[in-house]
Amino acid sequence: MNGTATTAQRRPLPIRGLLVQSAWARRRDRKGFWFVAPFLVVFAVFMLAPLIYAIYTSLYTTRIIGGTTFTGAANYTQTLQSGEFWSGVIRVVIFAAIQIPVMLAVAFFFATMFDLGVAKYGSVFRTIFFIPFAVPAVVGAVMWSFLLEPQFGPFVHLAHALGFTQTDFFSSNLILPSIIVIVIWEWTGYNMIILYAALKSVPRDVVEAAILDDTPLWKIIVKVKLPIVRPAIVLLVFINTIGALQLFTEPLILQYFETQAISINFTPTLYIYNTAIAGGQTQLAAAAAVILGLVIVVISVSSLFLRRRRGEI
Amino acid sequence: MSASTAVLDQDQPAPAPREPRRRRWGGPDEDTIPVEFYGLRRGTVTLVTTCCVLFAIFTLIPIAWLIINSTKTQANIFETFGFWFASPFVFGKNFGLLFQNVDGYGVYWQWFGNTVLYAVVGGGGAAALSALAGYGFARFRFRGSRVLFYVVIGALLVPIAAITLPLYLSYAKVHLINSIWGMILPAMVSPIGVYLMKVFVEVSVPLELIDAARLDGAGEFKIFWRIALPLMVPGLMTVLLLSVVTVWNNYFLPLIIFSQNQLYPLTVGLGLWAERAQNSGNAELFPLVVLGGLVTIAPLIALFLILQRYWRSGLLLGSIAN
Repeated sequence: MNGTATTAQRRPLPIRGLLVQSAWARRRDRKGFWFVAPFLVVFAVFMLAPLIYAIYTSLYTTRIIGGTTFTGAANYTQTLQSGEFWSGVIRVVIFAAIQIPVMLAVAFFFATMFDLGVAKYGSVFRTIFFIPFAVPAVVGAVMWSFLLEPQFGPFVHLAHALGFTQTDFFSSNLILPSIIVIVIWEWTGYNMIILYAALKSVPRDVVEAAILDDTPLWKIIVKVKLPIVRPAIVLLVFINTIGALQLFTEPLILQYFETQAISINFTPTLYIYNTAIAGGQTQLAAAAAVILGLVIVVISVSSLFLRRRRGEI
Repeated sequence: MSASTAVLDQDQPAPAPREPRRRRWGGPDEDTIPVEFYGLRRGTVTLVTTCCVLFAIFTLIPIAWLIINSTKTQANIFETFGFWFASPFVFGKNFGLLFQNVDGYGVYWQWFGNTVLYAVVGGGGAAALSALAGYGFARFRFRGSRVLFYVVIGALLVPIAAITLPLYLSYAKVHLINSIWGMILPAMVSPIGVYLMKVFVEVSVPLELIDAARLDGAGEFKIFWRIALPLMVPGLMTVLLLSVVTVWNNYFLPLIIFSQNQLYPLTVGLGLWAERAQNSGNAELFPLVVLGGLVTIAPLIALFLILQRYWRSGLLLGSIAN
């Protein structure tokens, strides 16, 4: 932690006696457990236990004839060999590879402009850009579905007026770009605020010195500001990747608007949902959930190691 | 803080400094270098501000569309220009529909009440548990505290999608399907909340202050309640805000654990109506979805505008801490 407002409140207190690690102190420290215990109970019951149960149940298969039998890794091999599961995985990877760089570039541009004060009325724009964070994904997807709807949606009329008469935002070619626009709309403000906060920690005198040397502004941004906020950018890449791999609500709502282009296995999470709820194959879905969880954990952990090796954390 | 710990009163740190008031709403922050010093080409400020205006239009278009179309009949939503009002102006009639069971699948205000209940109890519980646990992890070294903390941090990596189906499968075993506790209790588990509170306690609750209170004979819980908690309020507000928003926006879990429509939160209810509006041919449902969406987002946007100070500092804390 460096230089936040909270450190300002610390002022030295008079020493009232020498505190040594005594039996008394150890007994006192043990009481700390009781502060953590309430959280741990709910955490164990509603996070650890369901995860363990899901792994357990994924090792069994229920058939109409023969009942439930232990089948070991069968559900896992079936998921890993299923083209439906992988087509969803590939789709969300493509989605992440386009959506995240575009969104972060836009967010970084606005964050630097607000930080430098180049844009007028920066605080008003910052607040406006953040508003979609308060909009539930369901409502965001419903709004955009209306706007993009192929028969009456205003955006289709706009495309027609501009000469693109064959435009259908819900067609299989344009559905992924449409979802990318929706997700960019939902999350750019949040990313911008985090980058803006990180930029505020760039020391002012460094920037002042660069200005006195007649360094052009773009160079200050690229050479001074960007390296300092790189850890924040890496963090955002990481958070957004985890979110993108779990893409669920937006395609499901778009599907309600009779979008043929969204299949039941459009994303891995939709595959899990449809396999478990519509298909009733809960054990197979549990295996898919475990695999998706592992994929995300592996990505997270390896990116953490990468950051540690580069000395970023 | 009352007189019972009189000796403490003089040792209290100064109250948290308020964010300095802006000179003019929308004006630059005080510590910003004046833009004239950058040596920019003429027109750069105008160009950048224009970019901001364009992105602001992009951001506000769906919300403007929602506001305008909440005043229209179903036929007018489809047939008239989307970004201007049309007659008849039926906002009042649409609003009345929110109180009725239009489609036989439930009443909007009941879902609204459910969402408020889940968000307040779940989000409040998450904030309370996070505050206690964060304080415990930050200020005590009990046996296993480090390992337990790493387990909590590890849980940060578990994606929502991977935990939701396991919850559903477990609920089916223990009869928690269609129970409000199946929605509320998991919402109270917030590993990120625990992490943020631990970091916040470390920087804002001085160890010396706690030790001074101990020497005065105060019990550990009393120290937490009377001394630490008041200092933790800004961090606690951030965690509360994040938890409430998470519950308010949650869709996947309630979608699969609730089959009775009187238990639905807003997200599931609106999603169902959006589907029914397409398939059932009910002539009232599209205006309901539009106005329902507007009434869903209004309280959260208001909350964010009112509590700006907290989420700004809180997100800052989160970004640096990571």
